[in-house]
Amino acid sequence: MCSLAAPRVCFRCHPCLSSSRFEVRNNKLLPPGVYLRLKRKPEKRLERWFLKAGFWDSIASSILKNNNATETMVPPSTLHEEEEGEEPIPDQLLLADRSLSDGTQEQIIFSLTGDVDVHALQDLCDKVGWPRRPLSKVAVSLKNSFLVATLYSITKSPEGDEERKQLIGMARATSDQAFNATIWDVIVDPSYQGQGLGKALVQKLTRALLQRDIGNISLFADSKVVDFYKNLGFEADPEGIKGMFWHLPF
Amino acid sequence: MAIHSTLAISYASLSPIEPQSKPKPKPKTKLNPPPLSISTNRSSVDPVQVQHLFASCGHSCHRFPRTGPDGRVEPVELEKLRVALAHSFVVVSVLCKARFLEGEKEKGVLEYGFEDLFGDSDQRLVGFGRAVSDCGLTASIHDVVVIPSLRRRGIGQKIINRILRILTSRGIYDISALCTENERLFFKACGFGFDSLGSTTMMYTQSPGATTDNDGFTVTTSGRMQLLVPPPTHQLKLWKKD
Repeated sequence: MCSLAAPRVCFRCHPCLSSSRFEVRNNKLLPPGVYLRLKRKPEKRLERWFLKAGFWDSIASSILKNNNATETMVPPSTLHEEEEGEEPIPDQLLLADRSLSDGTQEQIIFSLTGDVDVHALQDLCDKVGWPRRPLSKVAVSLKNSFLVATLYSITKSPEGDEERKQLIGMARATSDQAFNATIWDVIVDPSYQGQGLGKALVQKLTRALLQRDIGNISLFADSKVVDFYKNLGFEADPEGIKGMFWHLPF
Repeated sequence: MAIHSTLAISYASLSPIEPQSKPKPKPKTKLNPPPLSISTNRSSVDPVQVQHLFASCGHSCHRFPRTGPDGRVEPVELEKLRVALAHSFVVVSVLCKARFLEGEKEKGVLEYGFEDLFGDSDQRLVGFGRAVSDCGLTASIHDVVVIPSLRRRGIGQKIINRILRILTSRGIYDISALCTENERLFFKACGFGFDSLGSTTMMYTQSPGATTDNDGFTVTTSGRMQLLVPPPTHQLKLWKKD
């Protein structure tokens, strides 16, 4: 049973040390081609964003029509956030819209709907060098996490006929929805790092938690990323509070 | 000699000790420990009793609790407690019959009714613990408390063991617990230690500074902490990737 222990995957943006203890055997092999798409029940307070086929097209076309510059941060006219009182957090937010050197148009979308393909997530984890975890466990964790924030990159070829949607970042938080929350698995594709995307992920997640009156937000950071979180308002061992972990009695 | 030992055994079988877990008696005390029952049944937990238990232990669900002028921690909000209990994966409660507790009003023999002898009306919550989990990979333990008069008997350890048993039976081995300096020894005795991977525990404590331009920033309170809510970022400054 010890070999199935899940690693404490902290917020590392760097490859972690994988010991043999964390070599996970995926006993439950999923049939190839089966994607576990987990649709989370949308929160009552969140603005409902209809995820229908063609949604990406509609948002992309409405933005692209007005966009002439190569690099614009266009606050989409369709998205808004009310500032007073209980503000609904939009499920999806266009973070960036830019043209790449080869002429393709790229959009980066932040989403709180938690629609994550576990295979795409595993590919992302492989890219940053995290140890593999059983897909079924990952799927269950995502389904039962209070908030799952994702970053998708949508690239459109210059001809406008091909569209590719790729998962480039994720962060999730477990919570009792009243007092405590813990942020786990903050991950950004290495080729998209250094652009403020990780910061946006964590800030949005923190904001979403604080707006729900959840005050104890904690996380366990790898030594290399402690400064990253310090810049985001996190304090190490505040007032002597430390996290302790259960050690398997073997 | 044989007669003495037989008497001892028969006395033990007569005492009202419930078949569920019983704490080890203190070695020096002559009194029998009160009969306790440990339960993981969520419906046996009354949020009001939990609130009273926390208040009597000076425990707050906020990590940085606000203390009143008398030095006592402010009581936990009942509605939030209900929500927290509803969304906790494991809830463990330790109950004890009221008549065994100090400070409980003594009932005369004639006042005992049917309910007192056979019902659960006088069950008091003396210990509590809960765990929040994503039911797959990780879990965190919170709010483990035992009333002061029943401490140092292993009850807290039993609560933790019960939580661990349930979590490990579901295949969850990454179990964390945030603890203050005082609680560290307790968790160590329960088999917890610092992270073998050397991760640092961090908590969000960003408060509005005196020099910060607070326009457009919102602040929320958590216990005695004033926490700055990160502003909405419609726009992200992303530079062109070469």
